[in-house]
Amino acid sequence: MSSTTTAPERVEAPQKGFAGQSIPRKEDRRLVQGQGVYADDVRRHEMGYVHFVRSPYAHAAITSIDVSKAAALEGVYGTLIGEEVAALTDPFFQLSVPPGSEIKDYALAVGKVRFVGDTVAAVVARTRELARDAAELVEVEYEPLPVVIDPQRALDDGAAVLHEDAGSNLVWEGTFDWGDFDAALAEADRVVRIDRLHFDRFSSTPLETSGAVVEYDRGTGQWTLHANNQFPGFAIIMMGPALRAGMDKLRFVSQDIGGGFGNKICTHPQLVALCLLARKLNRPVQWTEWRTDQHTGNSHGNERVFLDVEVPVKADGTMLGFRCKAIDDAGAYSRYEPLGCIIWAQVTPGLYRWRNVHIDFTQVVTNKSPCGPNRGYSRMQHLWFTERLIDIVAHELELDPVEIRKRNYIRAEEMPYETPNGCVYDSGDYARCLDIALGLVGYDGLEERRKEAESRGKLLGVGIGSTLDSGTNNFGQSQLLNPDLQFSGNNEVATVKLDIFGEVVVTLGTTPQGQSHETTASQVVADLLGVTPDDVQVRAGHDSYWNTHAGFSGTYASQFAVTGLGAVKGATEMLADQIRRLAAVILGADGPEGIELDGGFAKRVDNPEAALPFMACGAIINANNAGLPPELDDVTLNCRYVYRPPFQVPDTERKFGNLTLTYAMQIHVCVLEVDPETGVYEILDYAAVDDCGRRIHPQIVEGQVHGATAHGLGAAMFESFPYDEEGTPLAANFYEYHVPHALDMPPLKTDAIESPSPFTSLGTKGMGEGGGASIHAVCAALQDALRAAGNAIVTDSHNPYHRVWELLENPEASRALVRVEAS
Amino acid sequence: MLLSEVAYTRPASVDDAVRLLAEHDGARPLAGGQTLINVMKARAAAPDVLVDLADLDELRSVSVGPEGGLELGPMTTCTELIRSSAVNEKRPILAEVAAQIADVQVRNRGTIGGNVCSNDPTNHFPPVLVAAGATMTIASTAGERDVPAEEFFLGVYLTACGPGELLTRIAVPPAEEGDGFASVAIGVDGTCIVNAAATVRDGHARVALGCVAAAPVLLTAAADEGAVREAVRGAGLEPPSDLHGPAEYRRRLADVVAARAVANAMGAS
Amino acid sequence: MEPVTSAPVSVTINGEVYERDVDARRLLVHFIRDDLMLTGTHIGCDTGNCGACTIHYEGRAIKSCMMLAVQADGASIETIESLAEDGALHPLQQAFSEHHALQCGYCTPGMIMSAKHLLDHNPEPTEGEIRRAIQGNICRCTGYVNIVEAIAAAAKGEVSA
Repeated sequence: MSSTTTAPERVEAPQKGFAGQSIPRKEDRRLVQGQGVYADDVRRHEMGYVHFVRSPYAHAAITSIDVSKAAALEGVYGTLIGEEVAALTDPFFQLSVPPGSEIKDYALAVGKVRFVGDTVAAVVARTRELARDAAELVEVEYEPLPVVIDPQRALDDGAAVLHEDAGSNLVWEGTFDWGDFDAALAEADRVVRIDRLHFDRFSSTPLETSGAVVEYDRGTGQWTLHANNQFPGFAIIMMGPALRAGMDKLRFVSQDIGGGFGNKICTHPQLVALCLLARKLNRPVQWTEWRTDQHTGNSHGNERVFLDVEVPVKADGTMLGFRCKAIDDAGAYSRYEPLGCIIWAQVTPGLYRWRNVHIDFTQVVTNKSPCGPNRGYSRMQHLWFTERLIDIVAHELELDPVEIRKRNYIRAEEMPYETPNGCVYDSGDYARCLDIALGLVGYDGLEERRKEAESRGKLLGVGIGSTLDSGTNNFGQSQLLNPDLQFSGNNEVATVKLDIFGEVVVTLGTTPQGQSHETTASQVVADLLGVTPDDVQVRAGHDSYWNTHAGFSGTYASQFAVTGLGAVKGATEMLADQIRRLAAVILGADGPEGIELDGGFAKRVDNPEAALPFMACGAIINANNAGLPPELDDVTLNCRYVYRPPFQVPDTERKFGNLTLTYAMQIHVCVLEVDPETGVYEILDYAAVDDCGRRIHPQIVEGQVHGATAHGLGAAMFESFPYDEEGTPLAANFYEYHVPHALDMPPLKTDAIESPSPFTSLGTKGMGEGGGASIHAVCAALQDALRAAGNAIVTDSHNPYHRVWELLENPEASRALVRVEAS
Repeated sequence: MLLSEVAYTRPASVDDAVRLLAEHDGARPLAGGQTLINVMKARAAAPDVLVDLADLDELRSVSVGPEGGLELGPMTTCTELIRSSAVNEKRPILAEVAAQIADVQVRNRGTIGGNVCSNDPTNHFPPVLVAAGATMTIASTAGERDVPAEEFFLGVYLTACGPGELLTRIAVPPAEEGDGFASVAIGVDGTCIVNAAATVRDGHARVALGCVAAAPVLLTAAADEGAVREAVRGAGLEPPSDLHGPAEYRRRLADVVAARAVANAMGAS
Repeated sequence: MEPVTSAPVSVTINGEVYERDVDARRLLVHFIRDDLMLTGTHIGCDTGNCGACTIHYEGRAIKSCMMLAVQADGASIETIESLAEDGALHPLQQAFSEHHALQCGYCTPGMIMSAKHLLDHNPEPTEGEIRRAIQGNICRCTGYVNIVEAIAAAAKGEVSA
């Protein structure tokens, strides 16, 4: 039985010091000079360049593959096909229960292909161009099969089945039921029914694509992967068993990564192919993913449909709960899935106080690119859903969108707040942040702006988007999907040492892709050791050989400020304590309490003249340590700390328990103007207010808010991955898939408050993902704008111009999806 | 993505260029490369020989013609059009439209000739030149011939300038009363979903619609909104459907965009 | 004059002359990165949209992924590596750091080269002109807010030494 309240940790009183200041970033000097080392910058002598041959069919049997012509091309070093992979590796571990557990997923397609872009073979050659040429000489014969594109049709009788071993396109299904929804229906004055809400498929498309240089040492069986994978902990767990090798045989190294946003988590299939090639060919192999390959074959965000939604409401606008069916489209393979089927439950009620929730959740495979975590993973889809509910209810019941939110928001005085499924929201003041956001766009004056827009023939709309960024996962939530899984809790590692000359050196287990870990870690260390961030050397990037990693190491899921900095704090406190103990002995003080650390010295509190510089401490322990007393035996000045958040295994019966440690919040308000003749809309004014608890570096936090907003606006206005009926992806590159540029961005106004988390060692909350608030806000603003021209309902997350035009042309179609009934 | 093997040459004269294009079956001229290099990277086309026009200064000049119109070298880049005092004086619509194409880097290399000869249906210059009644001069080993813009654009990626031939001049008549251009694009200055160029004179409008067919669709109407929209609606357009919109969307945008182009032209006059 | 599948090129990059034989099909960006080991210039897409490969070619910002190395024979090129002098950052580089105009840093070299092109030709740009100048440079991390601020600050000379 799980305990759902988390004992608050003692929060440090705010320190004077570097934490909290926006200091210059350590990362910048090398990056602004083009001296970063990204995956494609890594060179090995005589390395072979890899090109993957990919399927042009969404679903087909592979009847034959002939690589002989490719292999014969001058300059080609070798090839790899699915048959070899099936012989040399075991299928990747599947997280689901049957039938999803029976899916066989290998590094290359074996026997059949299941999405356009599925890897069928790999060719390695002396140059990039030759590898590309050789790929064209690989002859693959396919027998096309019927395709499954619509997730709502994937479980129909007679639908083509993607994975014969599973016998079904079902990955996972389950029912989530908390509170008493039927009682809520009885208590309600109205029930708002919405037939369908649809969250579209898109991804964050980091500017650097995936890539690696992989080497294999025959003598030791050691692979070294210079890869930009952002979650080596997960990759190793997937790859080791597949390769039939011990986890330690997979060394991950990276220095700089050009964006991840979750899209660099599930690259283990390609990396296994590279490992096999490096071993087979006895040479390092190099792979850089093409942009087209990333768009067709790598980590789309989950597409989710919500059906038969029911929202019981009181006349005063109090919302009592919701019931729906949810169908999640995982794409062709479940690689991080079905975790998306539970991760949304970290934010089951969104920001609201409703207590009665029932969701019948189904996840299916379809002949589309496999999904992987995408910035806001699974929570964003659900938070969009809850925001659509409140927005549509307000719209249909003619309730004020601000008042209804304030009525239903969880209140600051209720924090920490236990949600219907046992998650604990640590802190926050949503109503206050909403007021700040509304103030930033001049909400009170908007009716005049609406009239002015009308005089120019334009429709003005204003919309609110509230969201949460739940951070620091309890991986025990995986057991709510599959009780046999042996994952729970979380961890991150840091080491902090004094080197022989007293230099402070830090190593992290994370894989930052722009989140400024070197800088923020140095701030925390500096404050605890009494030095400046410039005195703190943080090693750039990640290397398994540093042994500064644990099972969940990586950079994902909005957690560094809690897990990574928690580890840094822990390691630094250990080091500080050791320095004090050493100095106490050397300086003759009454124990470590008699020593303070200041300016790079360990000083006697009662006589600051008696001081030992860090250099001396380092030198004594490392090089001059004869004669030290036995009580200092454990003083190494090289401290490794594993941060573990205080989680319990959730209750798998009730699907109840605390799934994440912290809850950052963002509230956005969007003011836009629609041209009713074309459906083109322009965002005129935009505000984003965030609360991520204590901010170690406010400028960095604000930068994350800007970036999350831009991603959300892109998804709302321009970015999606549509497929035609044959399963051909239509937005396969940046020409079709428009990413907002500097002229597409509206003016952004931001503000922040800090509601420290009572559950973390620094009062911080993770916040990098954001939660997609801009998507929620744009949808609400569009619906508001269209009120005056047909009163359509916005039911899709993605609203390109043609969709807005369709809502204007045919509002009845969307209105038919919504009904208000007396209870 | 990476190119297939290709041979490259950079001739010093138009005659040499034309000879090379005629001699090698799979030869294509290389102008700014902002379309062709991408096409070759995707291996959607793989010419055997690239004839680089970079050294052909005579294809780069902008001058005023005998009737006060413009004689444009097809190698003139968008940036050069934007900065040309002759263009801004004689037919500013060319500079105005050039400034809407893509971004600074693309405009620094992309040429009007390349934009015209690639004839992607979403390109900007084909409708502008059709509306303006420009004339293209095409050179081959057999000599030169002039083709009016209306007859130059034959199909998707297909123009009257065929294998072995080279576009050597675009002659644009002097401005009439006013020129206009309007579009609905994906993002600011993005790929056009529908575009239209218009020229007005004496209460009449010439409107060339882009993106709705394989080549710009030319219509004439009285220069007022109602007449223009009726003309477009009566044109029986069958635009493509794609991820940026169904056919019906483009069809309905077409008359809106055409009317706006005419309104811009009237505003300019 | 006859077409050749490979040719010698002589290119001046950041003031230094490089002479190499290149395949005609080799893209300029791969020549810069792979043959000359100047890896500051990056590749982010297949279609010439992202701008990570932006360099100065004969004084103009261009995307080096849409040019062949052979076309650059005889030309003068500047890449991001040309900006800092003896370890002293260029004001644009300094401004980018001060204003947190980079997070992952991948778009940054191309972004700075576009910014430099702007300031070389227009020393007092408006905000709109700044945004237009970087329209061809995609960033997925920053939302461009701080990038625009940094360029404006560099233009005004509001950068610490």
